[in-house]
Amino acid sequence: MPDAPTPRLVYDALLITSHHDFYKPAVAPRVAELGIGAALVAELVLSGHVAVRPEDGSRLAPRDIGVAPPADSLGLWLTELVRAEPEPLPVPEWLEFLAVSDLYSKTADHMVTTGLMHRTERRSRWRKASQVSYEPVDAFIAQAPLARIRRHLTSMEQRMPLPDAFLVALTEAVGLSRSLYSQTPYGARDYARSHTRSLPAPLQALHGHLAAAVAATAITGNL
Amino acid sequence: MSTPSAPPSAVRSTLAHDKLGTFSLLHFSLTAATPLTVIAGGVVVMFAVAGQIGIPLGYIVIAACLWLFSVGYTTMSRHITNAGAMYAFIARGLGRIPGVAAAWVAATSYCAMQACLYGLLGVTAEGVMDRIGLTVPWWAAALVAWLLIGLLGTRAVDINAKVLAVLLMVEIAVILLFSASNFMNAADGLSLAPLSPGSFGGEAAGAVLALAVVGFIGFESPTVYGEEARDRRRTVARATIATVGILAFIYITASWSIITAVGEDDVVAAASADPSGLMFALAGDQLGGAWVTIGEVLLLTSVTAAALSFHNTTARYLFALGREQVVTARLGRTSVRACAPVAASLTQTAVGGIVIALWAVLGLDPLTHLFFYLGTAAGIGLLALITACAVAVAVYFWRDQRGESTWHTRVAPVLACVALAGVLYLSVIHFHTLLGVEKGSLLPRLVPILFAALALLGAGWAAYLKRARPEVYAGIGYGAKATLVQSTGGVEASPEVARGR
Repeated sequence: MPDAPTPRLVYDALLITSHHDFYKPAVAPRVAELGIGAALVAELVLSGHVAVRPEDGSRLAPRDIGVAPPADSLGLWLTELVRAEPEPLPVPEWLEFLAVSDLYSKTADHMVTTGLMHRTERRSRWRKASQVSYEPVDAFIAQAPLARIRRHLTSMEQRMPLPDAFLVALTEAVGLSRSLYSQTPYGARDYARSHTRSLPAPLQALHGHLAAAVAATAITGNL
Repeated sequence: MSTPSAPPSAVRSTLAHDKLGTFSLLHFSLTAATPLTVIAGGVVVMFAVAGQIGIPLGYIVIAACLWLFSVGYTTMSRHITNAGAMYAFIARGLGRIPGVAAAWVAATSYCAMQACLYGLLGVTAEGVMDRIGLTVPWWAAALVAWLLIGLLGTRAVDINAKVLAVLLMVEIAVILLFSASNFMNAADGLSLAPLSPGSFGGEAAGAVLALAVVGFIGFESPTVYGEEARDRRRTVARATIATVGILAFIYITASWSIITAVGEDDVVAAASADPSGLMFALAGDQLGGAWVTIGEVLLLTSVTAAALSFHNTTARYLFALGREQVVTARLGRTSVRACAPVAASLTQTAVGGIVIALWAVLGLDPLTHLFFYLGTAAGIGLLALITACAVAVAVYFWRDQRGESTWHTRVAPVLACVALAGVLYLSVIHFHTLLGVEKGSLLPRLVPILFAALALLGAGWAAYLKRARPEVYAGIGYGAKATLVQSTGGVEASPEVARGR
């Protein structure tokens, strides 16, 4: 698999799920956390640090074969957690765990250090606790990932890079189909679907579990 | 020497903090049932329709049947995905073709049950408005409620649950107050006759049992949260059985208290004279006139809550079927910001609106022709669904006990099948009593025929999917996880899927 040295997928997932639409959260908080979590796992799968075994109940396991630990703190955090588990856990449990781990803040903090986001802390006059919010430094940065994958869907000229193909699948899975396909030419959905079908089996399983987790959220209302 | 234990999983320890306990699941299932609607809108009508005082005994019989059913049902829910929908149990137990047939009957029944409540709601609102000097037609009040329910239905389920929880607490408090007052103002002292076997039987027995089942709908909902339960083996079973027990206690107490307050010789005549207002009239006589208004206003909120609850259940069914692509995939869409099953919810809202408009334009009676006819017909459909689900549970465990006890997999499921089949048989043959028409007339025969036709159409559609769209067929019964089964070509499917039934 190709290397993914920077955690770009997880940044893109955060911007698409939470900031592409005039800085308002595009999807429900839990759905955003699920999407960001799936993107982080996908990055580590692409960089060869972890493996998803669809034939073994989609369990997430560490890979030790000649790969240096992830250079970024986010990837390292998750890789260490995967490594620390006494036995490999299924992807749905990892997605559930990442959804309750405040992954949005962890990722946004990471993006602050790379100069992509601003961190603002406001102390409430009435409550002792302060409120932290994150905003992209530039509206163009916030909209760039969705614009990029929409460009693929509009031109349909060549095959999308693997991370972008996964990002398209992820954007659809979190319920942003309308934003994704708005004003795209006829055949864009089929083009995207063909890419989703040709994703490697671990990423297909990851995408399937993400879509299932979002649907389960809609059924139970556990936001 | 002690054996070294496996190191704990940090991920599972973190997730355990967020798991739902028995009380959380009980909250979800009890809010799906709305006891004041059942008692004020159903129990008094049962006295009038059945012409006998054995209603508390009818509730005991149904509670026992549903308790037996719950034993196998909650046990099977541990072994399957999409455990919130009964058609999924049928798909796993009896096969996907009966599963789709059941899904069509279930969606229609829940949809009809929700729509029928607009009739009771309109009439109750009309009465409340009349009391304060306003004249509002039933359909106008029903349309206001329809709009509110339509809006709440497109919001997240947890918002609805909070609204329903507050209403439920007030309802239960008022029912217990009214019941205590009835017992303290007994006409002829406390009588045990309503609980004796002789008080219950004849042509009306099936009608009473069918109406009693409707009051418990919602008891099945803890299985929806099976994957989020603290202990999947015990929490769901405890919550389901506790729901049946609590609802049975409320219904038995309230119906017995009405008999005690009016007198066993007079209750049938009193209920026939004032089927929608007897309970509140008793409270007004005993506690003061203000309680009549309080009761009617609470009945209004209770029926609204019941309609909202059935709206959510129907939307969940349609959403799961949309996700499986058994019906149009558009129904599987969620709203972006709230992650609610928005397309399914709007579909149910549209059906409700059409029903209200149709009944208003045709000038049909909202209480008899909408609430009662449509509601009892839906009750028969739901009873057939529960019975088919009981058979599916028995068949599922007959093939493989999956390490569960004989009581949970053989004895209780078989007893539940026999008991529920008996109740269904009595309900169908006594359906004319339920509708208040002559034996042998067209209407009571039409409803079972309609459900049978729906089931046949569903089965035919499933057979078509098996031949023309096998990938969709593979995902039947998996609900939220259908796309996973479809995309992985059944990698994560159960042995039933692997066998291609």
